[in-house]
Amino acid sequence: MKHFSLYFLIGILFVFIQSSVLPLFFSPNLRPNLILIFVLYLGLSESTNRAIIAGLLLGAIQDSFCGHSLGLYVSVYLIIVISTRVLSEQMNTESSALLLVLIAGGTILQNLLVAVFLSILADTEPVLRILLPAIPQQLLANLLSSALFLFLLFRFQRLVGQRPGLAGLIYQSKYHGL
Amino acid sequence: MRDLLKRYRFFLFAIILLLATVILYSYNLRQKTATTFFERAVLTFASPLQTSLDGLVDSFKGVWGNYLWLVDARQQNLVLAQENKDLRTKLQQSEEISLQNVRLRRLLAFVDDLDRPALPAQVIGEDASNWARTIVIDKGSRAGLLTGFPVVAADGVVGRIIKTAPNSSRVLLITDASSAVAALIQRTRTRGVARGRGNDLSLEYALRDGDIQTGDLLVTSGMGGVFPKGLALGVITVVEKDPFNLFQQVQAETAADFSHLEEVLVIVGEDK
Repeated sequence: MKHFSLYFLIGILFVFIQSSVLPLFFSPNLRPNLILIFVLYLGLSESTNRAIIAGLLLGAIQDSFCGHSLGLYVSVYLIIVISTRVLSEQMNTESSALLLVLIAGGTILQNLLVAVFLSILADTEPVLRILLPAIPQQLLANLLSSALFLFLLFRFQRLVGQRPGLAGLIYQSKYHGL
Repeated sequence: MRDLLKRYRFFLFAIILLLATVILYSYNLRQKTATTFFERAVLTFASPLQTSLDGLVDSFKGVWGNYLWLVDARQQNLVLAQENKDLRTKLQQSEEISLQNVRLRRLLAFVDDLDRPALPAQVIGEDASNWARTIVIDKGSRAGLLTGFPVVAADGVVGRIIKTAPNSSRVLLITDASSAVAALIQRTRTRGVARGRGNDLSLEYALRDGDIQTGDLLVTSGMGGVFPKGLALGVITVVEKDPFNLFQQVQAETAADFSHLEEVLVIVGEDK
């Protein structure tokens, strides 16, 4: 419960940054999706059950601050978390580069899933004209943000503590030493 | 007599001298503006000396004040720096208030034209995604706002409320891909539906033989009951007619500047 309260608070903080702070400096396409980065990170770091619940929670938070129907990001993040879990079983999660590659893949997957859901279920076909051309800018913004996130994580690794299962941090993966 | 003079000669000399000076003073009192030869000579002689001395004193004062006697300088510097900072902040606040005043005056003028009760609100947030176009305003159900209320700015239509909380509301902008507003061309009354395209609008279902030209003003038609009739939606920028298509392809630039949206009006009532 403590973990989910923390994820909830971080999600609220990120969504506030995305909706109230970043719009002051960046156009919509150049604003990084901090919650997506967090979801991917949790997908690599946490157990499957915990990652899925965190993904659903963060998706609901993002839905509350975006568009006009709850459920879109809940579904999208659920798919992304499950995909990340499946991939992480086969890969070396200690690698920071893997996290960056997954964020690139996650950004593309998220945009495609949102486009599909909106086009098929919500009948908002023009959204494809908004979403698809924005993918390169979104990729750039998300990669730069996650690189900064990793840099800070390395910088303050001591504060994070020697906990197993933190993706991107060497010697802290849950598979380290096995 | 000679002995007497000899004995008191000093006092006599002093009295004569005193009388002479008094007479001189008395004479000069009547000649106020005239400069005597003596005065002129003294002034002429003293002038360069006085100038040099004055320069020397100034230099000394400068050295003393600027380099030696600096007991309060740092404190004064800090006080002045803080004062400068405060003044700059006040100046910026004053400029901001002045700009806000201009914007609010335009909104008030717009309310008068609108002829409907309207509630001003501040934009406090934007959408958390890159594809949806919504904003959050600082008025909600406590201020009497309900879902569906139209939101406008001085330049034109902004959108409509889609969610309300006690102290905030979410507004779906007309540029959102899921937004559709019944519209017409003001000049020719050609009808259509203005749909959002992210940054601009497209006018759909405008018949091919309808007269639409670039530069035409696109306004709300009042159909659907959400927006009052005649509010500016945008200006037509692209018109394409395909001989095999029933409808023409029309694009419009929004009238309201969504990149600089700070204050909006929520139309809360029926026609007055």
